[in-house]
Amino acid sequence: MRPQSVGWLFLAPTLLILAVFGVLPFIYVLVVSFFDWNSFAADPTMRFSGVQNYRDLVFDTGFLMSLWNTLKFGVFAVASEIVLGYFLAQLFMRNFPLKGFFRTIHTLPLMIAPVAVGATWRLMTVPGLGPIPYYLDRWFGYDYLISRYAGQAFLTTVVMDVWHWTPLVTLTLLAALSSMPKEPFEQAQIDGANKLQTFWYVTLPLLKPAILSAVFIRLMDAMRTVDEVWMLTGGGPAAATRYVGLYIWRVVFPKTDYGYGSAMSLITLYLTIVLCWLLYAGLVARRDLRKPE
Amino acid sequence: MSDDVPLRRAAPHGFLPIHTNAFDRVFISVVCFVAIHLFWMRFLEQDISLYVATVLSVIVGAIIIARG
Repeated sequence: MRPQSVGWLFLAPTLLILAVFGVLPFIYVLVVSFFDWNSFAADPTMRFSGVQNYRDLVFDTGFLMSLWNTLKFGVFAVASEIVLGYFLAQLFMRNFPLKGFFRTIHTLPLMIAPVAVGATWRLMTVPGLGPIPYYLDRWFGYDYLISRYAGQAFLTTVVMDVWHWTPLVTLTLLAALSSMPKEPFEQAQIDGANKLQTFWYVTLPLLKPAILSAVFIRLMDAMRTVDEVWMLTGGGPAAATRYVGLYIWRVVFPKTDYGYGSAMSLITLYLTIVLCWLLYAGLVARRDLRKPE
Repeated sequence: MSDDVPLRRAAPHGFLPIHTNAFDRVFISVVCFVAIHLFWMRFLEQDISLYVATVLSVIVGAIIIARG
């Protein structure tokens, strides 16, 4: 057997799984997105409608607003998680009493199901029952009511996501920091670099692959977040936290508009891929276009 | 240098500001294809047919794949 054939043979199980669970559903959704299909309508059959679903979609202010909100949510949540995750990773690189205990406690949110996280935060933020509105009112006189104020609801969903997913970023960056070579830091020290210069010119470039991986994973997750937000705010008040996943869910399940839901899903996937690709292109694949002197 | 070392052609420098291979350029073409169509449907379709967008996208895609 030729070496190339052996390689393909080893890859075959993975490719098969990828085809069955990744490529085929994608093709199915792509096909459905070009049809008008509502299983509970008077005519429940699939009728070809061309690009009508996409045409409706670009004029759907509810969908566009949900996309914008999701983008804001993703940027705020992921940026906070990266910054906080980096500081926590640096903290766990040092030695302090009960370090192992705190590291375990810090990792616990990762093990909780998103629905349970949403329910827990709901209980903590319900007026008259939860401790957060109670203490904010008692200590600062702050009227905290996420069912009324859109800004508070948005901020609470971001904080909840940060609480849930920062440990993932911390662990990723901790692994990267632990495996860093010492020589570049020693060289920077000999050259007289201060802490900020060492961070900017040595630590950050060495951490870039790990940071990018964490950003990609978290951005993709943030773009498809549904269950946590559904449990916490239900998408409200009004549509302030109706992120795109929730919007699609409302179209596909209660309204059973499968064609339109498929089109929205594909556009969301498209935007997620483009966002990640732009990040990759801007930070990794960029080349110097200046002409050599 | 040993004669056994195979000669590798230098990657061509296109107009895109990133290092690309053929797959990257096809991917960028598809991204542009979708973006042009969505933009067209939102802002221009009332006046100009969507087929124009398709033709334009194909031309843009071909340029990116060939020269990108």
